[in-house]
Amino acid sequence: MNAIETSKLTRRFGHLTAVDNLTLSIPEGTVFGFLGPNGAGKTTVVRMLTALIAPTEGQAQVVGYRVGSEDSALRQHVGILTETPGLYDRLTALQNLVFFAQLYNLSVQRAKQQAERYLRMLDLWERRNDKVSGFSKGMRQKLAIVRALLHEPEIVFLDEPTSGLDPEASRVVRDFIKELHAEGRTIFLTTHNLPEADELCDLIGVFRTQLLQVGTPDDLRAGLFGRGTEVRVAGDPALWVPMARALSFVRNVAVREDALVIALDDPDTQNPPLVQALVQAGAPIRAVAPIVHSLEDVYLQLVDNGDKQKNAVK
Amino acid sequence: MHRVFIILQKEWIEIRQQWTLLFSIVLPPIFLTVLPLFVLAQFKGTNLQTHGSVPLNYPSMQGMTLNEALQAQIGMQLSIMYVLLPGIITSVIASYSIIGEKTSQTLEPVLATPIRTWELLLGKCLAALIPGVGVTWLSGLIFLLILPFLVDQRVFNAIVSPGWLVLFLLWSPLLALIAIAVMLAVSSRVNDARSAQQVSAWLIVPFLAVFFGQLAGVQVLGPAFTLIVALILAVLAIVVLWVTVRIFQRETILTRWK
Repeated sequence: MNAIETSKLTRRFGHLTAVDNLTLSIPEGTVFGFLGPNGAGKTTVVRMLTALIAPTEGQAQVVGYRVGSEDSALRQHVGILTETPGLYDRLTALQNLVFFAQLYNLSVQRAKQQAERYLRMLDLWERRNDKVSGFSKGMRQKLAIVRALLHEPEIVFLDEPTSGLDPEASRVVRDFIKELHAEGRTIFLTTHNLPEADELCDLIGVFRTQLLQVGTPDDLRAGLFGRGTEVRVAGDPALWVPMARALSFVRNVAVREDALVIALDDPDTQNPPLVQALVQAGAPIRAVAPIVHSLEDVYLQLVDNGDKQKNAVK
Repeated sequence: MHRVFIILQKEWIEIRQQWTLLFSIVLPPIFLTVLPLFVLAQFKGTNLQTHGSVPLNYPSMQGMTLNEALQAQIGMQLSIMYVLLPGIITSVIASYSIIGEKTSQTLEPVLATPIRTWELLLGKCLAALIPGVGVTWLSGLIFLLILPFLVDQRVFNAIVSPGWLVLFLLWSPLLALIAIAVMLAVSSRVNDARSAQQVSAWLIVPFLAVFFGQLAGVQVLGPAFTLIVALILAVLAIVVLWVTVRIFQRETILTRWK
C-alpha cells in the first residue's frame, strides 16, 4: 500500500501556480526526499498533504485518508515538523509537548510517557522543565521533532530537520530518522542538504513547481549520467583509449587527468573483463574505482533541465 | 469541547507568565472600584451647604439632600465605568494572544493537529472573556458590598438602578465579546499588539454616550433603554463573531497572515 498517492495535485494562489499537476506515489515505510530550490512549492505540497490547505485541483490520499474530505482524521495520523519549530517560549518543554499531545487526543499520562520516551532519545529529558525561551536553535528543532512523533503517526513530514543544527546535533537527528525508518514509518523529508538526502532517502523527488524526476538516488544518477568505471594508469591514459573502445560492452571512453573514464551499462559484471583486457594489453593500472556522481550533480542537472524545458515551452 | 479547554488551559498558563499582562488585568478593576468608593466616602457624614444648582431631575433623586444628590450623581457617573472595563481587559488579552501566535509562528503546528478552527477560536475567546468579565463582575460585587456602608438606601438605589444592573450584567460581557471579535479580526492584519488595541478604542463610544448623557441630565439608564441597547449589542456581537470566524480560517492564516 502507498502511504501517499497524489493525482494531478495543483495549487494556485491567484495567478501564481505554486504546484502544478503533481502525480506521485510513495510506498509505505519509505524515506522520501523532496528536493527543490527555494520557492519551488515544496512547503505548499507538504501543507496540502497534511490537510493544512486545500488543493485547487487534483486529489491526494495520505495513509488512506483523502485530502479535502477526511482532513481531521488525516491530521490524527500524520506528524509534521514545520519550517519554523513554532514552540511556545513561555511554556516548558514538557508543557509544550503535553499541550500538543492532548490536541492529538492523548491523555496527559500517555502524553508524558511519550514525551519521556522521545526526549530521552534526543537527549532533552534533563531539560524538560526548562522554558523553551532558553533553548538553542538545535534544541528547539529536536523538541519540535519530538512533538511530531508523540501520537505515533504512520507518516512524518520533516521540513528541513537539520537546518541550522551543528554537526553533532545533525548526526543525532539523522540517526534518529534512521531509527524511525527501521520502525517502518514513512518519512517525507524536505531538505537542502543533499549529502543528507543521499544518506537517508530510499526515494528522491526533485521538484520545481512540477515534479522533475523521481527515483532512487542510484537510478537518478544512472538515468542522467549513466554508470561507469574510472581506471587510473601510469603514463598517458590516452594510449589505452582505442583498446578500451574496441571492447563491445564499452559505451564510451574519455580521459580525465591520469585516468580513463569508461561508461558501462553494468559495471558489476563488466568490470572484471574490462580490467582483464587492459592488463593483457599491458596497461599499467594504478587504481580502479566506480564513477560516482554526487546527488548535487543530479539535482543541479535536473533543475537545469527543468528550467530549459520551461523556457522552451514559453 | 475537550480541545477548547486544552487551548484555554494553555492560554492561561501563558497569561500567568506575563507580569505586564497580569497588571493590565488586575489594576484597572482595582482602580475603578476603589476610586468611586473613595470619592463617595468623602461625602459620608458631611453636611454640604448649597453653592449652586444641582440637577435633581432624576426621579430617583427626588427628596434627596444636596449631599445625597451629589453622592448619587458621582456614584452613577463612576459606576458606569464598569461598561468599559471588560472591553479593556479582554482586548489586551486577545491582542497578545493572537498577535503573539502570529509573531512566534506557533499557529501552524496547532492547525496541523486535528483541532477544528472553531475550537481554537472559542478557546482563545473564552481565555480572554472569562478573566475580563470575571474580574469585572468580581470588582462590581465588591463595589456593591461596600457601597451600603458609604451611602444610604436612597442613594444606593439611585446608583444601583435596574438599568445599571442591565448594563453591568449584559452590556459588559457583550462589549467584551465584541472587543475580542474585533481584536481577532484586526490581528489578522497587524503585527503588534498596540496597533490592534488602538483599533478597539472605538468601543469606548457607548460608554461615552452614557457618561455624557447622564452628565447632561438626560436619564439614559432606564431599564427599557438599557435592554434595547443590550439587544442591539447582542446582534452586533453575533455579526462581528460571524465575520471573525470567516476571517479566522486555517488557509487564510497560513497563506495570508504575514
